[in-house]
Amino acid sequence: MTAIHVEEVRKRYGDFAAVNGISFEVAEGEIFALLGRNGAGKTTAIELLAGFQQPDGGTCRVLGLDPARDRAAVRRRTGIMLQEAGFFPDLTVAQTVDIWRDFTAAPRPRDEALELAGLVPKAGTRVRQLSGGERRRLDLALALLGRPDVLFLDEPTTGMDPEARRNTWDVIRDLARQGTTVLLTTHYLDEAQRLAASMAIMDRGEIVASGGIAETLAARSGRVAFRLPPGTAPDDLPLPVTLEGETAVCRAADPDLAAQTLLSWAAERGLRLAGLEVRTATLEDLFLDLSRSAR
Amino acid sequence: MSYTATYRLGTRLFWQDRAMLLASVVTPVGLSVGLPVLARHVTADGVAAATQLSQGMASILLSLTAFMNVAVALTTRRDQLVLKRLRATGLTDGQILSGQIASTATQTVILIVLCAVAVNLLADVPFPANPLVYAGAVVAGSVVLATLGVAYTAVIPRTELAAATTMPVFVVSAIAAGAMGPIREALPAWVGSVLDLLPTSAVVHALRTGEVALPALNLAVWAVVGVVAIRLWFRWEPRRS
Repeated sequence: MTAIHVEEVRKRYGDFAAVNGISFEVAEGEIFALLGRNGAGKTTAIELLAGFQQPDGGTCRVLGLDPARDRAAVRRRTGIMLQEAGFFPDLTVAQTVDIWRDFTAAPRPRDEALELAGLVPKAGTRVRQLSGGERRRLDLALALLGRPDVLFLDEPTTGMDPEARRNTWDVIRDLARQGTTVLLTTHYLDEAQRLAASMAIMDRGEIVASGGIAETLAARSGRVAFRLPPGTAPDDLPLPVTLEGETAVCRAADPDLAAQTLLSWAAERGLRLAGLEVRTATLEDLFLDLSRSAR
Repeated sequence: MSYTATYRLGTRLFWQDRAMLLASVVTPVGLSVGLPVLARHVTADGVAAATQLSQGMASILLSLTAFMNVAVALTTRRDQLVLKRLRATGLTDGQILSGQIASTATQTVILIVLCAVAVNLLADVPFPANPLVYAGAVVAGSVVLATLGVAYTAVIPRTELAAATTMPVFVVSAIAAGAMGPIREALPAWVGSVLDLLPTSAVVHALRTGEVALPALNLAVWAVVGVVAIRLWFRWEPRRS
């Protein structure tokens, strides 16, 4: 069953095409990632699906409903973690959850929601005293209150520390396992790779790669760079590299493993890999690859 | 869920916001009780003057406690993106706004009634001759002014300007009802006729005369104006710059 259906959807703000004819589908119980840099149109896409904005053209369907026309019905079955939304700064975390429970039919118990978001120790803290990452977690707790069938997460882990990120990923995976459909936006490549069953890459309001292509691109965007040892040619190396000036660059899904292979090759020959740099993929690398492959 | 939830939330936030309480409770209640008490003791025809003034003071409570409070509170919540978050819940837009209007109107009615009791005790102002008309005018007036306050947020560019933007409404309503002394008599007659069209003037007129038809018509027209303006222009988020 298709939970989210987006076809040729467009949205303009004045002269600016925020979303320019995007199409994708998300199956029930699937985690789908919209990957893109800031300003790519990811938030607009989520706001269109959540019924905050009306598209200028194209079709949006969430659980078979039109989010702009049947907003109330869509809202009852969806949870939204907005990228930008305020809280009442003087209420505590627990008070905020209680008030939101009041707005929700058949809500989760307060403690369960706080537990899911890892906020139990902060229950008595005023919202204005929370860190950015803690606010994101409160946001998540509120989005999960109504046990939604579809969950929209706009940059869910931005500002979280590594542990909170991992916990959030676990929560999202668990929810998907229980049948919740998740659409998330992110500019973290690893987040999309770890969580999503499928993904689409957005740039300037358009989907520039999706499905298998996007996954392949994401998978080979790890990078190992080093200065080519004197007297060696790129072909001598155990892995394929490209030359950027004097620097040899190796793209790989697992850059740590690639670096180990290269280092042991160099050690056997008594060579040194000067200026060695190992980086996991970033979105910038991916876009670089994309523009290269377009040429 | 629904109306009662937003009603409870509005009420809780009304009494929790200490800074706003000064402007929307302490000041109007102080004026509404203080001035009639003063008039009772310093003027020759004390009770009559206090009664006249006390009825006019309803305009101050309506324009501050109902109109200004809801306009400032909703502008703040709009700009803090709290309204946007409320819309992300299962609540409908209508439930969010009508719960808020009902809550603000309730606080306004409570304060007007409390002031009426206070001036009765402290300035011998008699209780209204027709309690039913009195209650109807106060309740309808509070609801209409709170609705207009919600609609008015559309012209408030940002939070810092909210209180200042609502001040003219307060001043004009108070002058119209004679709550600011005899300023009104110094104005040309046509200005007086225009001032009589204000919803606050209609409520004060009903309180003073017990008349029902004209004030009811006036408030109905303003209610429609408020609801239509909300439908057309109410903004749930700050303008994207």
